[in-house]
This record gives sequence, C-alpha cells and structure tokens, in this order.
Amino acid sequence: MSLEIINTPIFATIQDKGRFSYTHIGVTHAGVMDEYAYYIANMLLGNKKDENIIEIAFANVEFKANTNTQIAVTGAFCEVFINNEAKNSWQTHNLKVGDIVKIGKFLEGSKVYLAVKDGFKIKKEFGSYSTTIKENLGGLNANRLQKGDILKINSHNLFHTSRLKKSFHPKYEDTLLLRVVLSYQDEYFSDKEKQKFFSSEFTVSNEFNRMGCKLKGEPIKCDIDGIVSEGISFGAIQIPSDGQPIILLKDRQTIGGYPKIGSVLSIDCFKLAQAKPNTKIRFKQISIEKAQKKLKEFYNSFN
Amino acid sequence: MKIKVASVDSLIIYFGDKIDKDIAKKVKNAYLCIKKLNLDGIIEIVPSYTSILITYDIFTYDYETIKIKLEELINLDETQEDNSKLITIDVYYGTEVGLDLQSMSEKTGLSIEQIIKIHSEKTYDVYAIGFLPGFGYLASVDDRIALPRLSTPRKSIPKGSVAIANTQTAVYPQASPGGWNIVGRTAFEFFDKKLETLSPISVGDRVKFNPISKEQFLKQGGVL
Repeated sequence: MSLEIINTPIFATIQDKGRFSYTHIGVTHAGVMDEYAYYIANMLLGNKKDENIIEIAFANVEFKANTNTQIAVTGAFCEVFINNEAKNSWQTHNLKVGDIVKIGKFLEGSKVYLAVKDGFKIKKEFGSYSTTIKENLGGLNANRLQKGDILKINSHNLFHTSRLKKSFHPKYEDTLLLRVVLSYQDEYFSDKEKQKFFSSEFTVSNEFNRMGCKLKGEPIKCDIDGIVSEGISFGAIQIPSDGQPIILLKDRQTIGGYPKIGSVLSIDCFKLAQAKPNTKIRFKQISIEKAQKKLKEFYNSFN
Repeated sequence: MKIKVASVDSLIIYFGDKIDKDIAKKVKNAYLCIKKLNLDGIIEIVPSYTSILITYDIFTYDYETIKIKLEELINLDETQEDNSKLITIDVYYGTEVGLDLQSMSEKTGLSIEQIIKIHSEKTYDVYAIGFLPGFGYLASVDDRIALPRLSTPRKSIPKGSVAIANTQTAVYPQASPGGWNIVGRTAFEFFDKKLETLSPISVGDRVKFNPISKEQFLKQGGVL
C-alpha cells in the first residue's frame, strides 16, 4: 500500500510543522514554508493537524497510487491531472489502485502541498518528519523525493470528497505587504534608515530558498557592521553590509552575525513562501501585542 | 541583563556586546538557570556568546508576561550546578587533511609544527553551537594563528575538519561549504544520532585538541 514516485521531481520534500527544541545544538526548525496551505490540506482530509505532507517547489511531479486512497492538493494553484483528466486544487480527490496523478504547471504561487489520508508511514526523526537535506535529517532517507521512491500509506475507500470554500482560497498577489515587529538591532538603524525601510519597495531576488529570501532595493544602512553571533528567529530580517534585506525562513541557520532590523510576522512569511522572484515587497510596522493577537487568530482558525 | 523582543514568538536576552569570558559566564549561568526552571511553554533556549534567544508558546505567555517572569526568575548571582566537561579531541594535523596549514605557515611566518603546537596547547571554551548540528564555536585561539576566513569559501569542507576563523576554532561535524582555515581532521563525532544528547558538547564545556599520528587517526575510523 503506497504511493510511488514515477518521474524525477526537481524539488519535493516531506515536511510537517517542523522540528523543535533542538536549535541549541544547531538543528534548524525546518517544516512547511506555507503553514496555511499545510493546515488546510490536512483539514480537508480529516488528518491529524500536524500530519506529514509533500511540499513541491517546482512543477511536474508524477506518482502512481498502489492502493485506494484520498489525497488533497493545496498551496499554489496548479494543474492537477488524474489519469490525464484535469482536476482542481484546494480539494480532495479519491484515488484507485493504478491511478496516475500529475502535478503539472504552477499557475499562481510557488509551493504546492500534497497530503494523503492518514499521512505517509515513515519514521519521525527528533520529533519531526521534516526533511533537511543539509543536516541529513528526516523525510525519506533525508533526501528530496526521487523516481522510484515508495511512500507507504494506509488503504482507504472514501467516496466523500471535500473542497475549500472559494472565499477561503488565498490570493497570490504581485505585491506583498509584510508586517514587521521591530526587534534585535533596530536601535542601530537611524530614523532615516528605518523610514527608508518602511517606505521603499523591494523586489524578491532569485536567491530565495527554504533558508531565506534575499530582496533587492534601496540599500539600508546599519550603524554597525556586524554583531557577535546570536540566535535567529523565524522571519528575522538580516541587513548585511550590501544593505539588501534577507528574510530568514524555515531552514535558516540557528545562529548568525548580521544585524537585524526586526522580524516579519510568521503569517506573512507563509505568504512570502508563495511569492516568485520579482514579487514586490513592502514593509509595515506592527506592535508585538497586535502581532501576537494576529498569530493567535491564525492558529485558532484551524481548531 | 536586557530583554528585547526578537519576533512574534521569541525574545532575546543580552548580557553584553563582546566576546568575553565574564559575559560568557553570565550567559552560561542564566542558561542553566532557565533550563532548571523548566517553565511550561518554552520551546527553544539558544545560548550564544553574549545572548540567549528564547522561543515561547504565545498561547501560554504574551511578551510582557514572559519578560517579567524571566526578569524575576533569572538570578545571575546564584551559581548553578556546573556539569561542564573537559573533552579531549584527537586530531591528525597532517598537510593532506590540514588543507590550509601550508598557506597559514606562509601568512604567519610560523612553521607548521609551531602552528600545531599553538593550536593544541590551549583549552577552548564552547561559546555557542549552531550553523550546523553539533558545530561548536570554540574560543579563543592564540593571536599568532588567528587568521581571517578565506576570501573564497570552499564548496565542500570534509567532515571532521578542524578549522580556525579569527580567534575562533571549530570542527565541521559533517561535510559542508565553509570559509574557515583547515588545520587538521578528527574522527570524533560531533553530532551523533545514537547519543541521547545528540551533541557530545554543550555551551560551557571546554575542549582540548590532542595531536595524533595518521595511523592512530585511521585506526579510530578517520577518513582521508
């Protein structure tokens, strides 16, 4: 009883909510880049909230169902074919033994999530299924999915499919407004530089992966060159000496030595995860109180 | 001790702003103290040279509550029970694994033997662990062999490489890109999935490097 990968995906990995409580020994959090799409996929299937999932970062993943099961596809709007028949994302689909599924072109957004009923039967490593290749941890052999990989699953005969209401579908815009909690070395950025940071438009560069997202734009200057290395939070905005901000994401290094002006609110990092190079970015300040309220609302909406 | 917001669900405690033994001692005391408190809803405690980053559950605390709690509970004067260890790490310092020994010798005017002697004479403190699982930042290297990072980082540094960057020294626990000067190699495992603690070293421990022969290195399972 399994799903079998039958082509060579460019970059698809098993992820879950992430690996926690090991950053003090240098192990990164990992986990899905877009938690919204992740929680919805598991919700549609009636899975455990933190069940594992496949995160697909580039078009074209094909697999065969070796048992009857149900899948959900969320995240980037993409072509979904089951035995060459076009289907929609943001809903579940029943699969029968021998069905061939293809995740084709991405139409909007950049990360597709593919969940299966009850999740994939693999072993957790340090409390998580998440794959971090550079750490040799998690997933299937700590690697990206490859042709011939067999992912064990339970067998299910399900006829009832569910679909997310259109009004809950995300919109992947060409311009993103990211909310920022001023923090870390913010006092080493002059008022003039802060004003520049919050009034300029930046562009997502090609240097964008699971570790972080480098932006291009008006350089932001910090009064200090570097700092003594310290712990880095999810969403932290590093300003290296070239003045181009780097937003640190799920596979970030656990400690680092660049000055940071603040941190992007996690919910907005999930939106950033769906951006493509050349997406326009603007920043807006948010207080810690409001930020915490927004994040609580986000997580409560999945309960 | 100064507590600042770090992100929506984390805060950072600063104890100073430079690499310094006294500041490191405060970090270590506070780190042991926070661990001992064993508070609910604390997800991560990441000590480094001058700071501790704490990630917390926002359903348990808001920022003000956790900040006040930590300010009340962290007692820097109270000496914590210190379980720190001295760990001796065998290193083969030959030029076939010490990829930068030759150029370091040219830059410093010291012989390779002198570089090895200076590096292995000192006992280093573990100030932080990060970058890669089990990558310990050890300090301080003698000024005579403190060289800056390579201007072009290597695409892959072999696992177990013992390295120097400015006054810091470290061991690459696995193959990785990196720009530190490589002086030798060890068969010692810095991130071992079989260990309960995973990493045999912790912040506050001390490390000493012990030069061994190529034969001993190979016997320990070292790979050239």
